[in-house]
Amino acid sequence: MIKRYAALIRNAWLVDLQYRASIVLWLLWGVTEPAIALGIWWAIAGDGSVAGYARADFARYFFAVMLINQLTIAWDSWYLDRWIREGELNYRLARPLHPAHEAVAENIAYKARTASVILVVWLLVAAAWPAVRLPLDPGRWALTLVAVLLAAAMRFFISFTTGLLAFWTTRATAIMELHAGVSLFLAGRIAPLALLPPAVAGVAGALWFRSMLAFPVDLLTGAVHGADAIVRGLASQVVWLGIWIVAYRIAWSRGIRKYGAVGG
Amino acid sequence: MNGRWIPLLGAFWRLNLAEELQYRANFVASVLGTLFSMATALLTLSLFFHHTTSLGGWDYWEIVVLLGVFNALTGVIEAVLRPGIGELAGEVRSGELDLVLVKPVDAQGFVSFRRLDIWRFTDVVLGLALAGYALTRLGRIPSLAQLAAFALALASAAVVVYAIWVVLMSLAFWFVSVENIAVLFDAVYEGARYPVSAYPGALRFVFVYLIPIAWTTTIPASALTGRLRPEIALAAALVAGLAFALSRALWRAALKRYAGASG
Repeated sequence: MIKRYAALIRNAWLVDLQYRASIVLWLLWGVTEPAIALGIWWAIAGDGSVAGYARADFARYFFAVMLINQLTIAWDSWYLDRWIREGELNYRLARPLHPAHEAVAENIAYKARTASVILVVWLLVAAAWPAVRLPLDPGRWALTLVAVLLAAAMRFFISFTTGLLAFWTTRATAIMELHAGVSLFLAGRIAPLALLPPAVAGVAGALWFRSMLAFPVDLLTGAVHGADAIVRGLASQVVWLGIWIVAYRIAWSRGIRKYGAVGG
Repeated sequence: MNGRWIPLLGAFWRLNLAEELQYRANFVASVLGTLFSMATALLTLSLFFHHTTSLGGWDYWEIVVLLGVFNALTGVIEAVLRPGIGELAGEVRSGELDLVLVKPVDAQGFVSFRRLDIWRFTDVVLGLALAGYALTRLGRIPSLAQLAAFALALASAAVVVYAIWVVLMSLAFWFVSVENIAVLFDAVYEGARYPVSAYPGALRFVFVYLIPIAWTTTIPASALTGRLRPEIALAAALVAGLAFALSRALWRAALKRYAGASG
């Protein structure tokens, strides 16, 4: 299995290599949204602070959003939608390997490339600008790594499962865009959850949105205090990952049955 | 340049219209999508104004006017510009552009305007309606001079956006693999959602002089709310003319690089 994955990742890496310019474009697109949000909060904070966030806190927060969003984002619903609509799923089903493994390998190759660019940029910026430096805390970084892996896995299953809806509807990607619009607020892309009205932040915490992005970001920047809060955050990630895996299994088995019936 | 491409486009658009009218469900989906993105933008703005009373010197409803302008321009982009550019990158790579170049029409005009996504014109209507509503909330009735300035500034804004778009299309000749070049536009254009005065100095300089998106939303909205004197529209028209001339020169240079690939 490890050998297979190595081959799949190598393959995905080489395919991406052909489309270097496209990847730079997607990277830029992923970076501008947090950059603009940072610019606006920067102006609002002025010399004071907003709900405890001063300018430097916003800078750290949105740099962490850039990196962690890139590490956890999953485009799979768009691929799945195309595979199903245009029949590209057929030959993938004929392989002795579940198509999800190819998707996972693509995610790993894409994220390794783009996130490392952001990490290098962050380090360069941090050398010149103390505001975006993080305190040296390897324990916290290790915990963040775990939270990022859980978030990436969950966002993969969300995206993959939503893409599977293409078995039933032609608007699967529209549903994913709707989800992206909601997560703009609830996952913390536009502002730290602490700045949302408490009821909205409560919804984000009760559903899977905080686990997607805001929790790992807050963990990295140090906004999550105490072992208790960290354990609860990780537990919530594990629970929602489990729920999305179950949703994926149901959608996959039902969808494949339907697909087979249509294909004849 | 000759004007023969205009009746030709008329014929293309009629075919386009007939084709689109078959898919009326797309109209509903398109309007719902627009309403959703407008709601998201307004909620984002409300979140900012939950923590402040003005942004770059603008108050809430003034920025809503600007968002209306932003939406109207988005409609123009989605209806006219985006449908065409998607094809161009593929044609440059495959050599099918030969078929466009041998047509006895202006290639730039033809490539830019050959396809329409008519449903997205509703974005223009919805955007202007939002701007109008925000104006009544501000309690400001624009004078005739302000309305005229707004119309000129908005037309200039469309030209500036088009010029940026032509620059991107020209890049497709250098970077042949760029299928998603429109993403670059989306990334930059995000910045036009807010008045330029809200951004730190360096970014403001970029948006006014280098990638002139400040002229696409901030200036028309300022003309409409009376924040800037109506004469600003003349400056906007000048910027638009300059941007258009530069983009056309770049397009010409890019076309020289195209060697054709078919045959």
